[in-house]
Amino acid sequence: MTGFLVKRFLQALVVLFLVSIIVFVLLHMLPGGPARAILGPKGTPQQIDQFNHQQGYDRSLPTQYLMYLKRLFTGDLGDSYKLNSPVFELLKQRLPKTLLLTVLSTALAVVIAVPLGLLQAVRRGKASDYALTGLAFLLYATPVFFLGLIMIILFAQVFPVLPAEAPQGESVGELLGDFTGLVLPVVTMAFGIVAMFSRYMRSAVLDNLTEEYVRTAMAKGQSSRRILVRHVLRNALIPLATLLGLYLPTLFSGALVVESMFNYPGMGLLFWNAAQGSDFPVLLGVTLVVGIATVLGSLLTDILYAVLDPRIRSVA
Amino acid sequence: MRSVKAAAAAGLVLAVLTGCTREGGRVDMGPTGGVPVEGGTATMALPPNATPNWIFPIGPPGYGASYNAGIQFLLFMPVYDAVLDKDKGGLTTHGPSTLGLEPKYSDGNRTVTVPLRKGVKWSDGKPVTARDLEFWFNLLKANKTNWGNYSLGTMPDNVKRFETLDDHTVRLRLTRAYNPDWFTANQLTLMRALPQHAWGARTDGGPVGDFDRTKKGAKAVFARLTRHAKSLGSYGSDPLWKTVNGPWKLAGWRDSGQVTIVPNEKFTGPRSQRPHLDKVVFKPFTTADSEYNVLRSGGVDYGYIPPSVMAQKGKFEDKGYRVDPWEGWAATYIVYNFNSTHAGPLMRQLYIRRAMQHLVDQKAMSDVIWQGSATPTLGPVPVTPKSRYLSKAMERNRYPFSVAKAKSLLTSHGWEKKDGTARCVRPGTGADECGEGIEKNDPLELTLLSQSGSTETTNTMQELKSSLSKAGIDLTVRQQPLNSVLGKSVPCTAKDPGCDWDMSFFGTAGSWYYPLNPSGEQLFSTGASANFGNYSDKKADRIIRAVQYSPDMKAVHEYGEYLADQLPVMWMPNPAYQVSVIRNDLRGIEQNPTVTFAPQDWYYVKKGAEK
Repeated sequence: MTGFLVKRFLQALVVLFLVSIIVFVLLHMLPGGPARAILGPKGTPQQIDQFNHQQGYDRSLPTQYLMYLKRLFTGDLGDSYKLNSPVFELLKQRLPKTLLLTVLSTALAVVIAVPLGLLQAVRRGKASDYALTGLAFLLYATPVFFLGLIMIILFAQVFPVLPAEAPQGESVGELLGDFTGLVLPVVTMAFGIVAMFSRYMRSAVLDNLTEEYVRTAMAKGQSSRRILVRHVLRNALIPLATLLGLYLPTLFSGALVVESMFNYPGMGLLFWNAAQGSDFPVLLGVTLVVGIATVLGSLLTDILYAVLDPRIRSVA
Repeated sequence: MRSVKAAAAAGLVLAVLTGCTREGGRVDMGPTGGVPVEGGTATMALPPNATPNWIFPIGPPGYGASYNAGIQFLLFMPVYDAVLDKDKGGLTTHGPSTLGLEPKYSDGNRTVTVPLRKGVKWSDGKPVTARDLEFWFNLLKANKTNWGNYSLGTMPDNVKRFETLDDHTVRLRLTRAYNPDWFTANQLTLMRALPQHAWGARTDGGPVGDFDRTKKGAKAVFARLTRHAKSLGSYGSDPLWKTVNGPWKLAGWRDSGQVTIVPNEKFTGPRSQRPHLDKVVFKPFTTADSEYNVLRSGGVDYGYIPPSVMAQKGKFEDKGYRVDPWEGWAATYIVYNFNSTHAGPLMRQLYIRRAMQHLVDQKAMSDVIWQGSATPTLGPVPVTPKSRYLSKAMERNRYPFSVAKAKSLLTSHGWEKKDGTARCVRPGTGADECGEGIEKNDPLELTLLSQSGSTETTNTMQELKSSLSKAGIDLTVRQQPLNSVLGKSVPCTAKDPGCDWDMSFFGTAGSWYYPLNPSGEQLFSTGASANFGNYSDKKADRIIRAVQYSPDMKAVHEYGEYLADQLPVMWMPNPAYQVSVIRNDLRGIEQNPTVTFAPQDWYYVKKGAEK
């Protein structure tokens, strides 16, 4: 298992290195460059030259990349032009906030999707299964921004019980302290994934219900509830865990829509802001973090697999 | 049954929780009367992507945005600023909110004396003196290239000697005679009083002294202050920024750009400048959509809506808001690239520029596309709000919308429409010929780079394309993000790679915001820094210089009238800085066209009375 994880970790480093090269080149190929974006129409040619010189943009692309790598190894991700802060500080401040949003949404989605999928599987072919399947498809087909808008109109404008804006606290504690502000962004993000999770759960439960071990357990006289909870659910959670691990980075970047919609001060908003202002150091920093999240997501999948299925652990 | 009860209980808890007022939370805007009350919190939404990011009143290039200056002015009283003179109904440079009193020019306008308001103290009790102005000047002189407002030949280059006459008077000996109006409006408004006694150290924890009086010392002091200003996360706690002389002090500056100010209880400026509110929160929004949603649910007290929503004005009024477009002191235009590889010869023909200007239906664009929130741009001097810089002649539209006039200008200069596109049939340089550099059968085809991301701008460009096509001018519009447009619209010569752009537009929120005197030395002078299209005209250069040097107001009128006629750019409707939506019971708001704000004038009125 350890050897397997080390191998995966080394692979991950190579992937991150390649990602950083591709993103670096693509960003620097954008027309205009950051100087005009930062200095605006009033920036003089001298100021633009000075900016480019200070940032090293007047050097060749490979030299710039090597300089970037060198800084990266010392933990220096550069400074944001727009937010007047070190990128590392910005990531440190924003990352926990996005993680909070992602974790809360995922947890809510799982809490809803697992029993829902189970219920659909048990009641397969019945009216409730069709109704829930229809609802799941509807949710799955609804874009997050549209869902968010409906939520805002319903719960912040027509029935004003929740704020349309996420809390603006500086720490996770402050965000949690203003929990009502978190409700709409979390629910919007969770509803966007609950449909998919419940469909996976339904299929997985149905697959397991036809397995021989279920028949054996029934023959032993165990109750349906016990079979479902003790045996089927555990096995059905494996594909869901795979999905969860692989979906984590998507969720992470998907937070962008929710964050910009609810003015939530997380990584998505940071990325959006940076993209608007050609803030290269921030864009590179966020990309790096998303890259790491992707790699960690797949690692997490492997670990969860091993936890849920001891056979996998022994093979590894 | 148990679950129903649980759901009901949860709903009740939720309702109770959300009923609590949070900062900038839901507000009750019942009918209001006119009885002012002291106290309260106002939350103002900043425009999208306007994140305040600089506190030190000398901003480096890239940090000179209006919202930064607006917030700095609340903490540090400006020496001169655009101030609304309520008696005259126009803007002036000094008033109750400024530290400087009326400047006096002498020695044939080669010397200016700046008297300071007496009795004003810093929040630590030390008086604000002429030394604080000298401190600013010394820092600036030694570090001018690190100052965003620096432009060769202007402040501090144009000050030969800076003298402090007494504690409340400074005198500037200038390098030549300047137009007092221009110098005060565009140069003295850059002055700041900085607390020398608190900021004058070279190193953290080091002694405070007159180090700024030597170049080396001024560089060290400036470097230290800049280093502190680069630590945005510590603005709220850094003792440096706690020494203020304005009506407000900082209560918080979040990394997201949210700034909270509270009244400076040690404020010693004019009584009329003392704040009425307990707290003001400036809240940044990354997208206009999120701000719009929050505004609709009452989450901000003073926000903005996109012009396309102006049709729903009534809905906001029903909710207890008033809708008020905030006119900016700006000009909006499409840049012509006079050196374009492809269209340079076309752009250089005044009759073609005139024909094109006749095809810009500014009124229809303003009324239909901008829902009445834009005003026409008729020349380099803003038409609204009215000012002394605008002559009677400049109020007239020299090129009213007329397809017939445009067609006539083209045909009389040898153009003929073939298959929908005008082609030159009489090449040559005669009065009735196409003009220099235009060959026989050359088509009148142009490409326009325009910023994307705004429905209003997209519609404006489509309207323009349609109008131009009526006279046979084939316009191809390429929309790109603002950064990309700005990056490509750089001064170039025909031989340079990338000089193939013909026209460029970056004016969705106004192309150029002027200082108080709308002079054009940065825009239309030969070789000027923001003369992106390389416009060059000897007479224009001469009259632009006259605006800077001649004391006669006629100079600015001549400049405005000449360039309105010569069309160095294509004048376009000037959109409002923003369409503001303000709570009915929040009063005292004057929307200054130079886009500064004065929350010390804001106050709430009592609820419950009649509207």
